[in-house]
This record gives sequence, structure tokens and C-alpha cells, in this order.
Amino acid sequence: MNDISHGLQLEPRPADLIDGVTLKAVGQPLARKEDLRLVTGQGRFTDDFNLPNQSWAWMVRSPYPHARILQIDKEPVSAMPGVLGVFTGQDCLADGLNAIDHSPVPSTKFDVRLRGPSDTPVFLGRHFLLPTDKARHVGEAVAMVVAKTREQARQAAQALLVDYEELPWVADTQKAAASDAPLVWEDLPNNMLVDSSFGDEQATHAAFEKAAHVVSMKTHINRVTGVPLEPRAALGNFDSTTQSYSLYAGSGGAVRQKKELAQVLGIDPEKVRVLSYDVGGNFGTRNRVFVEFGLVMWASKKIGLPVKYRADRTEAFLTDYQGRDLVTEVSLAIDANGKFLAMRANNLSNVGFCCVSLSPLSKGSGLVTGSYDIPLLLLRSRAVFSNTMATQAYRSSGRPEVTFAIERLIDKAARQIGIDRLDLRRKNLVKPSQMPYTNAIGSTYDSGEYEINMDKALLLADWQGVEKRRAQAKARGKLLGVGFANYVESSIGFPKERVDLIVREKHIEVVIGTQPAGQGHETSFSQVTADLLEVSFEQVFITMGDTDIVSAGGGTHSGRSLRHASTALAYAAIDLKVRAKNILAAVLGVLVDEIEFERGLFVHGPSKTQVDWFELLRLAQRSELPADLQGGIQVRRDNEMHTPVFPNGTCICEIEIDPQTGALAILNYATVDDVGRCINPMIVHGQTHGGIAQGVGQALWEQCFIDASSGQPLSCSFMDYAMPRFDNLPSFKTEIAQVLSPTNPFGIKAGGEGGTTPALAVIASAVEDALMPICGPIEIPMPITPVKIWTALDAARKNKEVLL
Amino acid sequence: MSMVGLEVNGRLVSKDVPDNMLLAEFLRDSLGLTGTHVGCDTTQCGCCIVLVDGVSVKSCTVLVANAKDSRVVTVEGLSDGVHLHPIQEAFIEHHALQCGFCTPGMMMSAVDLINRHARVLTPEEVRSEMEGNLCRCTGYHNIVKAIVAASEKMHAR
Repeated sequence: MNDISHGLQLEPRPADLIDGVTLKAVGQPLARKEDLRLVTGQGRFTDDFNLPNQSWAWMVRSPYPHARILQIDKEPVSAMPGVLGVFTGQDCLADGLNAIDHSPVPSTKFDVRLRGPSDTPVFLGRHFLLPTDKARHVGEAVAMVVAKTREQARQAAQALLVDYEELPWVADTQKAAASDAPLVWEDLPNNMLVDSSFGDEQATHAAFEKAAHVVSMKTHINRVTGVPLEPRAALGNFDSTTQSYSLYAGSGGAVRQKKELAQVLGIDPEKVRVLSYDVGGNFGTRNRVFVEFGLVMWASKKIGLPVKYRADRTEAFLTDYQGRDLVTEVSLAIDANGKFLAMRANNLSNVGFCCVSLSPLSKGSGLVTGSYDIPLLLLRSRAVFSNTMATQAYRSSGRPEVTFAIERLIDKAARQIGIDRLDLRRKNLVKPSQMPYTNAIGSTYDSGEYEINMDKALLLADWQGVEKRRAQAKARGKLLGVGFANYVESSIGFPKERVDLIVREKHIEVVIGTQPAGQGHETSFSQVTADLLEVSFEQVFITMGDTDIVSAGGGTHSGRSLRHASTALAYAAIDLKVRAKNILAAVLGVLVDEIEFERGLFVHGPSKTQVDWFELLRLAQRSELPADLQGGIQVRRDNEMHTPVFPNGTCICEIEIDPQTGALAILNYATVDDVGRCINPMIVHGQTHGGIAQGVGQALWEQCFIDASSGQPLSCSFMDYAMPRFDNLPSFKTEIAQVLSPTNPFGIKAGGEGGTTPALAVIASAVEDALMPICGPIEIPMPITPVKIWTALDAARKNKEVLL
Repeated sequence: MSMVGLEVNGRLVSKDVPDNMLLAEFLRDSLGLTGTHVGCDTTQCGCCIVLVDGVSVKSCTVLVANAKDSRVVTVEGLSDGVHLHPIQEAFIEHHALQCGFCTPGMMMSAVDLINRHARVLTPEEVRSEMEGNLCRCTGYHNIVKAIVAASEKMHAR
């Protein structure tokens, strides 16, 4: 047993860092700086880059879920037109390439501590660029062909003969956990890589003993994938003169890619330059190194030419990192007054063929009690390997899963006890007076007004009018259902960030190591910087994505970017003003204390001097300055911030089901999201919209479907993997709540993931509500497709006929 | 190989191209017009949509030879070089793009849609007609708003 109990640490405090800063740009729905290039076709996505004499790589992928690689005959293929090289795992081994170090175990002091069985270190598997021993999932690259053109590489790859010995396989999460399951890694006695328990076992059991009501459920949160519309791509080049590599590759953070790829190649990170400009969607799937990134760099050195790779859509469905896939068993103990006493949860995460991230399991573990005051908890968190693509943090890593569990459990409890589902929630919500609130596993919620979120959402969704609309729907022969869910989530992420603030001739440059894929950092960071330095929004420019310029930075994940960026910027702005004042004092030959910064101007009263940042730069350039003030007006600030924040909210969804066909239409979708300080509401609303679509997609349509008899993934094109489309979503009603977080200067929480977090739960809740008159209480496994709905209705109708 | 001549964004181009070359490849690789994106290679996502003789076409599934003698307009040709096209303005104003990868295909498809209806579009029409374009970032909400707004602007005259 262990826990992560910590008090709330207000490191570094906070709001006084921005005392005196007038917020003008912050909070405004300013149009994005990114958009002009993107609407005119001038974006810089990875596949838009080409180098002279570049060659193309194509991967040879395993057709089997699990197979020993016996032999790969390169010779016939090497002679095919245009072929420049054929490479296998043995070649990687011979060149001493290392496995990718994904650092998958979350390790800040606020993360739940996951350990192997019997408190052993977690065995992670080994993620080599190409394997030497076996293929562990369908689609795993086992060889790479490089040729002059993409088509030549593709044809040669298709001709390459690989001798496999098929092995028994396991893809299903629960089957993978069985003691007799085929072993994905022979290093372990079974497929279980994590088995950790948390909470007070005795007290929890005792609470369940004395409970007036106990409700339980078991469910599988289906596996889905991120589907960024830009297929992943990479262009690697080795420069023999400087013995250094460059890699064009869109990702969630170029600095991380640089570090981890240098380690794979066994070289000094300073010999690697990674360039990641416009990124066509990420959602977490691009935050870990892909094997092809290392392979094109290595191959470029081997053949002496740049090497490019672009996944086709089927490869993306097979081998982009995937998300979710959690089996959860939960029980809730409730007293006679409807107060929650204790919770038991048993969560089993499927990490796939090797472990690239335990973030989903860890983040979920910290939030199993949701928005509610549940004093006791017993939690077992486990993870298994399987013969499937690896899973990774996907939009709102781990939180939709546990939100689904607690919210569905409460719906169930309300019915079982005979209390209104809203009343049962109100009775047990964490109250503002309890903030900061430490939940039973030790996560400390920073702030929030959960019941106010509920009230706002009920108003927004016209909850009062539900029964009237239900009657109207019934008159049309339709079943109306309304779903409800609260949520709380956590934003933790990599704890360090660096900014460089540089005064240029006509603008302020901000260099930072986050990496947006549509979140609009150039805009929101400019808004923050503009207010901090009292310059105009137009005068700020953000530089990201080239590791020759960006020296450090944690990338973009877990809703961390704006919170970290704004905090580092707040510190850097103070430093920059100090430096600027010192420079002006030196230029004028006066005491620095005599200089004030007011309304964007440095003012020296006695000499009636008033200069803005840019005039000061010109003065500095013309002056003889002491050594420590030379080099321009610029500062670098590193900041480390561990304390997590807890965005939260409420979501209500109204649907209509056609009982004859099982077809489902979403009529209304309303959310209230407490994101802390909102820097740009236009962007935050947009994030919520997209988040909703991804959550609803998972609940209703999306699934990485694996055929149970063959182990073959069958949802590998847009014809088979059902994406949310224009015509199956409604327009949304989204409202932003701003309860400022006390943990950082601007009071930011996060706004990127709240749309997704409650969406699974709210859809399942709405479906059950709609079907209640015919089916009674029911839990249809996600994705809740029309055929499943129709089947449930049909079974219920037949059952009723039998009873009659 | 065969010689293909066509007009792209008002410019006549003539090139010797492989017989199996796709229009999307021709635009991106031969002409360097990388605003046209390839998201699926299989006519399903709509990122590669361009106008061929005024009609929206998924350029990843058209041989460049088939586009011979036609007039092709890509996202790079939407603006007249001075002013943005109303659809571009509307996408910016209504925050109808996030990562921007689907955006060129979205806008080209929308232009065709708006041109086919000489009136202001309803949100329902936009949702129904645009279902061949996928977006993963926006949940479509703001794209619908932008296309309706652009239709108002383009047919207000």
C-alpha cells in the first residue's frame, strides 16, 4: 500500500507576480496569429519539406499479431529498381542502436506511484526501432526498404520475404491478464507489468460492511486512436561534414524527440536538430517517439542521402499510438442518507506490445473518486501487455475512463436507492469550503465550485423542459434521453519550462519549448506577453519547434502549456524589466532606482526621459555598456512547477432514439467548464468543441476493432473506423467558468481536455435514460452503435412478449 | 510519361508526367503547391480537395492526366493576392480551424457548395453537404458557422 498524499503546495506564489499588470489582451477572443498562413496554404507541415536528392523509406510490417522472425532474405529485393538499402533489426543491433527510452512511468511527486507486482520495478519491454526476435503486434515494422522513389520503396517492401513462425497471441485486455495467456515478453512470468494497490483496505472493507446500499459495475472503456488528419511523416538527414543529424518531424515536443532519438542513436544530443513546425493534430498520439523517426535518421547516414517517410492512413490506424482500453470494476458504499462512504476500484489497463506510457492508468488512479467527497478508497491499478499497438496518453489521458466509472455508478445508485440522480450528486460533491480538498488517494484539488457548475449547466440545457420535450418526442414515436455527468480532471505534465524573452527591433520574441498542434499558442502566449510587457498583441512573436533555437522545454500534453508558459513568462517579464531598467540607467548614467516602468514606457523623471522597449534597444545598441549589460535586452528564465491543477465541470446531453431502427441523434449538448483564467475564450470554446467530438466519437462510433479469431485489426481506414462527421454532431452550448487556480500567477487550470472527459459518461447516461421505458436499467458497451441499441430494444420487446 | 497541360490558379503549366501520377502529387511535388494536403490517400477525408473546372474534387484519386486542359484552383489560388477570399476571412473570424491540416480541403469544398446554391445556406444544409470532409480538431461547430457566414457574404451582393 502507498499513497501520494501531499498538501497543496503553492510554489511559487502566484498572483503577486502579476500584481500591477493590467489585463487588456488576456481574456479577449482575439483572432489567431496562426490562421493567415494556414488558410492560404502556407503552413509548414512535415510532408511539405523536401531535401535535394532525398530517398524514400517504406516499412515492411508484420501481418501477424505475434510471430517469431526466422529469416529475412534481403538479396532479391536489393536488386530491384531504385533500391538503396534494406534494413532489419539485426542491422540495428549490429550498429549498436538502443531501444527507445519512453520514460513511461509518471514520476512527479504528484503522480500515483505505479509499481510492478510485489513492489518490483516496472518491466517496460524493449522498443527497438526494428525488432530482432519477434513481431508483437500486427503492423509492427520488421524491416525498412529505402529507394529512390516512394513507389519503388513500396514495391520492394511488398516483395521482401520474411519467414515467420506464428505464435499464440492475445489482444483482449482481460484475456491478456489471465495466468495462461501467451507471453508477450518472456522476461515476465505473465503479462502483468503493473500491480499496485492504494488506500485503506481495512477501513474501506468496514465501511462496505456497514453500508445501507452497495452498487457495483464492471465495464470496458474501448480502445480508440487519435486520428490526427496529418499522417505522421519524417525527413531525416545526416551531414557527414558536421557529423550531425537533422529531422523534420511533427510531434508534441521537439526537445523530447531530440533527446530520446540521440539516445537511440547513441550520440550527443547536440548532434541532433529536430524541426517541428505546423503539426496536423496530435491529441497525445504524437507525444512519444515513433520508430520511423529514428529509422530515417539512421538510414540517411547508412546510404548518404536524406530519407523521407510518410505513413499512409492504414499505417496510421495500425501504428499511431492508441488510447484508452481500460477494464474497470467499481463499487460504491452509501449510507442510509445517501452519503458516499467508500469506494472500491479495480482498474486494468492494456498497454499493448510494450510500455510507452502509464499516464492513462496513473492519471485515472488519482481521480477515481471524481468530483465527490468519498472518504475511503481501496484501489488496485494493474497494467498488462498484449499483442496490440501500444497505448499512450490520448486526449484527457485516463480521466474519461474513471469519470465514466464514477458517474455511471452514481446513476445506477440513484435508481437503486430511489433518489434523484442530481440530488445524490449534490449531496456528495466536494464543496468550495473544502478546497483545497485532498481525495482518498491523495490528489489535492486546488479549487472549484462544482455545484455552481451543475446549476449553470442545468440552466444552459433547459433541464426544466426535459419532460415536456420527452412527451413531444414520444408523440413522434421517438425515445428521448438526457444524460448528466460531472467531472474533475488533473493537469500535471512535465514540470519544467524555459522561455527566452528577446527585444527585437520592432517586436518582442518569445522562444519556448511547447509544441501546439492547433491549440493556438502563438496567439494566447502573445496575449499574455503583451500584457506583461505592456506592448501590443501584434508586437509579440512566438518561436517554437526548432531545437537549434529552442534549447529546452516540455512540449504540449496534459493541458500543461499555457499554465507553464504564462508562469515562466511572468517571471521572465520581471527579469526583463529589471535588465531593461539597468540598461537605461547605464545609458543615462543615473541610478536604476530612479527609473520606473509605466504603461509600456521606461521613465526617468529627472531627465524627462521616456522610452519604450524598442527605443531602449536602439539606445542600448548605440551606447557603451558595461559587460554584464551587453548582448541586447533579453533574458532566459527556467521555471519548475510541480503542483497540479484540477479543471472541472458539468455536461448534459439530450438524445433521441428511433426505437424501430436504433438510430440515435444528438439534439442538445451543453457543458460548463471551469478552466481557471481563460486567456482567449474563442480558442477555449474551440478546444471544448473538439474535445466533445472526440469523447462522443468514442462513446458512439469509434473503436480499434480486433477480430477475435485472427487478431487482425479491422478498422484501418475511414470506411471502417467511424469518425465523427458534420452530419452526426449538433452545434454545442459551451460555457466557460473561471475559478482561478491559486497555484500559478494567472490562475490557469486547463481547457484542452474538459470537452472529452465527461463525454463518454454523459452519452451512456443519455442512452440508458432513453431506453429506460423499454429496456429498464441497461449498460450497452461502447461504442453504442445503432445495431447494439436495436438489439437491446429487440431483446427487451421479445422479453415483454414472453412475459405477456 | 505523357505531356499534360492545364491551368493552375490562373497559370498555364505544361509538364511531362508519369502516367500514374495523381493530381495531388502533381500539385504538391511538381508545382510545390503544398497547401493541398493528403490525409488518407483513399478519397475519404477530403483534405486534398481542389476545384477542377469549378467542381470540388478529391485530388488524391484523380490522375493528373485526367485533369488535362482543365482549370484547377487550389487553396493558394483562393485569394487574389491582395484580399482574402470570403471563405478564408470567415474561417479566421469564426475560428473554424485549429491545426489547419483539413482546412484547405474544407474551404475548397465549401466554395463549391456556396457557389452551387445562389443563396444563404442553413446550418443543416452545410452539415449534410459537407459530410465528405473530416476534421478532428473542431467538432465542426465553428466550420458550420464559418460556411454559413461566408455564404451570407458571397450572396449578399
